[in-house]
Amino acid sequence: MKNYRPFWILVIMYIVVVILITCGGGLFLQFLKKQGADFNGIDPTLIPLYDFPDIWQNMTYLGSFCKVILGFIVVISVANEESFRTLRQNIIDGLSKQEFLWSKLLLILGLSVGATILMFLCALLMGSLYSSSGGMQQVFQSMDFIWAYFLILLTYLCFCFWVTLLLPRTGLVIVGLFLYTIIFEPFFALFLENFPYISDFIRPSTAFFPVRSLYNLIPVPFSKFLLREFQEFVSLKETMIVIGWLGVNLFLCRLILHRKDW
Amino acid sequence: MSMGPILETAQLSKSYGRIRALDNLDLSINEGMVFGFLGPNGSGKTTTLALLLQVLRPSSGSFNWFGKPQWDNVRKDIGAILESPCFYPYLSGYQNLMVSARIKEVNLAAIEPVLRTVDLYERRNDPFKTYSLGMKQRLAIASALLANPRVLILDEPTNGLDPQGIVEIRNLIKKIAGTGKTIILASHLLDEVQKVCSHFMVLRQGTKLFQGSVKDALTDQSLIEVAAADMQYLAEILVTYPGVEKVERRDDKLVFKASSMSTAQINHFLIEKKIVVSHLAKKNGNLEEEFLRILAKHE
Repeated sequence: MKNYRPFWILVIMYIVVVILITCGGGLFLQFLKKQGADFNGIDPTLIPLYDFPDIWQNMTYLGSFCKVILGFIVVISVANEESFRTLRQNIIDGLSKQEFLWSKLLLILGLSVGATILMFLCALLMGSLYSSSGGMQQVFQSMDFIWAYFLILLTYLCFCFWVTLLLPRTGLVIVGLFLYTIIFEPFFALFLENFPYISDFIRPSTAFFPVRSLYNLIPVPFSKFLLREFQEFVSLKETMIVIGWLGVNLFLCRLILHRKDW
Repeated sequence: MSMGPILETAQLSKSYGRIRALDNLDLSINEGMVFGFLGPNGSGKTTTLALLLQVLRPSSGSFNWFGKPQWDNVRKDIGAILESPCFYPYLSGYQNLMVSARIKEVNLAAIEPVLRTVDLYERRNDPFKTYSLGMKQRLAIASALLANPRVLILDEPTNGLDPQGIVEIRNLIKKIAGTGKTIILASHLLDEVQKVCSHFMVLRQGTKLFQGSVKDALTDQSLIEVAAADMQYLAEILVTYPGVEKVERRDDKLVFKASSMSTAQINHFLIEKKIVVSHLAKKNGNLEEEFLRILAKHE
């Protein structure tokens, strides 16, 4: 993997995008101001994007949109093993499917840990530069969002893993995952939530969708500045749903790997 | 030579939907055999090997290696090439072998000798994707040899090689067989199996038609040709020789099955009968005739 150029290109892309999103937020607000936008009379640059402890939530919320790029890395890494038929060769050489599973899970874990550390450092840096509030206590308050961020990445990447095992065509899976993550599931969820004539029993089920549940884990933070009321913590119920999905995803990886002919 | 079965299968079958790729294969291979899987393309040779290497799941039936149940560690004692060589195209030959070595838990020092054996040492640092087909095939053999395995499985090992490469690979196989390793060789090239193997089986459409030793099959097929001035008389005399069943006329010669007779015995016998031969030769059969006979028998 480390000699594989697309891997590094994607890693660098991811780092750049995350840094842009986390650090560019302030610039974006200034841009909005120049364009004459205002939120109910509030100057956009006054929005405290980088204040501790809110910064953890703001940054992780923005950062979690970039998980698709990490997903691509997992997809390519797994799909390559199949298209080069190296998985087959490695099994012939004596690699057990369990060992293969672990090797890819290690990659997933590594990516998740790396991305979480990156996020932590970015937020810490931006916070120390721009935060108007200080003090150790405030800085490390709301750290649960960092853990939630890690959990989201881990779960999402395992999701990508089994989807790729199921459909080992790089292009197909990448387009499919992208559409599903960005368009299909959100729209379907919106449809279920807002379309009339759907029983109220079904409506809350969107919280259990594999990708929607990940979005729910870190609630939209910016409404705070408009509505003055929002969820400022990671809810236990949603954490349990995500952990549940993590388990399901891991189980599916294992199941497909053992069931399939290589 | 034979030291008990190294591989046994029982009713091993594989279906893809309706297609029965392998049908109830019972097979036993002993240690030290060079065993050929012979059959036309699509007869189930590769499917069988893939099942034995656990990349495919059998639809029914079972098998075991070395008398042990199927476990992953067993495969580390088998060196195998299945179909075309599969390596990471962006890694060099050496790095690809490092991957194999790590899986097989072999010391990295084992890589250099096998690269030299297959004559790839000079190119070891070039990426795999720059290799020619023959070099890829040779790297696959190097990878199979890496762990000094007890069993070597080669699926069409000379596919796509030039004549010189084919000879090299054959000599390599013979050399390896000489060290007492068991080799399983799948090929649609009869000549190849005949030159290399001690035993063989014939597969067609997933069914085993025949299994036996190459030597027996060849002696079954060997013929003696005789010619003399008076062919009529020669034929009458020949049928009186014990063991000769049927004498046939082919062109200007008489032909009969050799069984275990030598040309010297026949010559001696004919001289006693005061016949002077103008031609006397033993013609060894080849696997091709035997193969066609087996296929025809099962039409």
